[in-house]
Amino acid sequence: MVADPQPDNRAPTVVGIRDLLFAWPGQPPVLDIAELNIARGERVFLAGPSGSGKSTLLGLIGGVLTADSGSITVLNQELAALSVAQRDRYRADYVGFVFQLFNLLPFLSVVDNVLLPCRFSARRHERAAARSGTVDDEARRLLSHLDVTADLMARKVTELSIGQQQRVAAARALIGAPELLIADEPTSALDHDLRERFIHLLLDECAAAESAVLFVSHDMSLGSLFDRQLALTEINRAGHHNG
Amino acid sequence: MGSLSIIGSLAHKSLRNRASTALLTVLSIAISIALLIGVERIRTEARSSFASTISGTDLIVGARGGDINLLLYSVFRIGNATNNISWESYQDITSRPVVEWAIPISLGDSHRGFRVMGTNQDYFRFYKYSRTRTLEFIAGEPFDGVFDAVLGADVAAELDYAIGDKIVIAHGAGSTSFVEHDDKPFIVTGILKKTGTPVDRTVHVTLEGIEAIHIDWQSGMRLPGQSVSAQQALQMELQPEAITAFLLGLKSRVAAFGLLRDINEYKEEPLLAIIPGVTLQQLWELIRVVEITLLAVSICVVIAGLIGMLSAILTSLNERRREMAILRAIGARPWHVLLLLVTESALLAAAGALAGMALIIGLTAVAAPMLEQRFGIFVEVQWPGAFEWLIALVVVAAAIVVSLWPAWRAYRNALADGLTIRV
Ligand SMILES: Nc1ncnc2c1ncn2[C@@H]1O[C@H](COP(=O)(O)OP(=O)(O)OP(=O)(O)O)[C@@H](O)[C@H]1O
Ligand SMILES: [Mg+2]
Repeated sequence: MVADPQPDNRAPTVVGIRDLLFAWPGQPPVLDIAELNIARGERVFLAGPSGSGKSTLLGLIGGVLTADSGSITVLNQELAALSVAQRDRYRADYVGFVFQLFNLLPFLSVVDNVLLPCRFSARRHERAAARSGTVDDEARRLLSHLDVTADLMARKVTELSIGQQQRVAAARALIGAPELLIADEPTSALDHDLRERFIHLLLDECAAAESAVLFVSHDMSLGSLFDRQLALTEINRAGHHNG
Repeated sequence: MGSLSIIGSLAHKSLRNRASTALLTVLSIAISIALLIGVERIRTEARSSFASTISGTDLIVGARGGDINLLLYSVFRIGNATNNISWESYQDITSRPVVEWAIPISLGDSHRGFRVMGTNQDYFRFYKYSRTRTLEFIAGEPFDGVFDAVLGADVAAELDYAIGDKIVIAHGAGSTSFVEHDDKPFIVTGILKKTGTPVDRTVHVTLEGIEAIHIDWQSGMRLPGQSVSAQQALQMELQPEAITAFLLGLKSRVAAFGLLRDINEYKEEPLLAIIPGVTLQQLWELIRVVEITLLAVSICVVIAGLIGMLSAILTSLNERRREMAILRAIGARPWHVLLLLVTESALLAAAGALAGMALIIGLTAVAAPMLEQRFGIFVEVQWPGAFEWLIALVVVAAAIVVSLWPAWRAYRNALADGLTIRV
C-alpha cells in the first residue's frame, strides 16, 4: 500500500513553481520557468503557440513528468519528494483533467465515465458522496449543471457530439471537488459560441467546487473570461531558443 | 485491493464493448481447447477399450510372425494372418495338462464388410472381455449346425438381421468381394448382446462351416468343374486341417511363461505365442508416436488460438492508447494499465476454455454413436474432470504470459506518453 501524500489542504497556493527546468530526452530544454504561482480557487489562462511546451508543463504539474531541476509544489507538497506511486495517488486525489479530444472511455456509460475518479481515489469518492448523498447522484447533478440532460446521459458516449463529450469530461474532472482543474485546450474542437458557453459552465462549477483552474489554449480571445492571463512565452525563458 | 476489482470491471466492460472481436477470439480458443481435450479423451478411451477387449486369456497362439500382428488379427480383426497353423499342432498343444480351455479361430472370409470368424462353442463359454464379462445373447443361442451363424450386435443392427435369416459369406475380407459362397448360405441362430469390442462386428460360424464352404476351393479359387452342394458337403469329412490362431486359458498363470517358451520352440511347425497384456503394451509403445503427434498438433492449434488473441490485442493497442492516457490522468498507475490488458486476455482465455468444454460435451454427445460404431470406442458424455480443468488453467496461464508482451508495451507507452494523447 502506498502511503498517503500529505498536501496542505488549506494552503493558499495551489501550484507553486520555482526555477523549473525540463527537457525531453535528447532535446534542448523546452521549459525554463523562474516562478509561477496559482492561488486557491484562482482561474488562470495560459496561452502559447503550438509546440511551446504547454502540455509538457501540465504533465509536470500533474506529476506524470518530473522536472530536471527546480521545484514544483502542489498544496505545499513538493512533487519531487513523492515516490512515483505517491504522485499517481496525489493526481487522483487533487487534480482533475480535461483534454482536447477523446476524454471518455468508449466502453463505459456517461455516468460511469464521470465516476471513474471516485474509483481510483477514496478522497474524491468521499467528497462526492458528501455533496449529494451518493457518488451516482453527484455525477448526475454535475452532468445536469453542465447541460447534459438525462436523455444524453442514457446514450453511449460514442453517440455524443464533441461538445457534449467535453461537458461530460468536465463533470468527470470536477467530481469530488479536486483542488486543481487542468484543462488542456478543451475547446479547440468546438465552434466559437459553444466555446464560451462551455467555459462559463466550467468556471461556474469550478467556483462552486472551489477548484483552481489552469486553462491552456492558443486562442487568446478566451483569456478575458479568466482572473489572470499568462503567456507561456513570457514566463518561459527556454521558449526563446526554440523560436 | 479495491483497484483490482476496478480493473476487473473495466476489463469486462471493455471486452463487452468489442463483443465481435472478443467473441471470435473466444471461439478460436474454444475450438482449439475442444480439439485438445477431444484428442486426449479419444486417446484414453481407445486405450481402455482396447485393454478391455480381451480378458482372461493367458496366451494367443498363431503362425510365426509379428507379435503385434498376431494380437491385431486374432483379437481386433485388424490385418491378416501370414500363415495358418495345423490342426495337429492345435490338438497337441491344447491337450497339455496346464491348458484349461482353448478357443480356435479361423479367419479370412467376410460378410458385407464384417469379418467372419470360425470357432466352436467354447468361444461362448470362455471368451471374456471387460475383465470378467462373458458373451451374452439378446436373441437365439450358440450355433449348433454346420451352417449356423451367430451375429455380433452391430452386424445384426446395421444389416437388420433377425433369427432365421439367411446370409451368404464372401471369400476374402473386403466389402467389395464379389466371389461369394452363395451355394452354401448360413442361417442366423443367435445374436449377441453389445460388448463394445470387435465381437460386435463379427459374424461367428463353426469351424466345420468354414471348412464346408471351402471344400470345392483351392488357393482362393473355385475349382472348375467341381461343385459340391451344401447337402453333399454335410456328408463329407469337415474336420478342419488348419486354423488361423487360438486363444488359451491356463490352469495357472505361472504356467504361461513355460508354455510360451515351448510353443515358440515348437519343432513341428513355426508357431508364435504371445501374452496379450505384454503385446498390448508393445502396441502402446508403437502408437505412442502417433499419440504424441496428435497431441503436439492440438497443442499447436491452442498456440495458434493464443497467437490470434495476441494479434487482436496488438492491433487494438494503438487505438486504445488514448484509453490508457485517460486512465493515467485519472490516477491509474502504469501497472493498472498493464493489469487491464492482462485481465482482458485472462477473461478471453477463461471464456474460451469454458466454451471449449461446452463444445466438447456437445460434440461427444453427437459423435459418441459414430465412434462406437466405426471404431468400437466408447466415449461417454461426461463433465470436465481434473484433466480438463488443468488444460483450462494452463491455457489461461499461457494467455496471461502471452498478453504480458502487449501489456508491457502499453505500460511503456503509458509511461512515455504521460498525459499527451496520441492519435
Ligand atoms: N512525449 C514526448 N516525447 C518527446 N518529446 C515531446 C513529447 N511531448 C512533447 N514533446 C516535445 O516537446 C515540445 C513541447 O510539446 P508540447 O506538447 O508540450 O507543446 P504544446 O504547447 O502543448 O503544443 P500544442 O499547442 O500543439 O498542444 C515539442 O517540441 C514536442 O515535440
Ligand atoms: Mg498541447
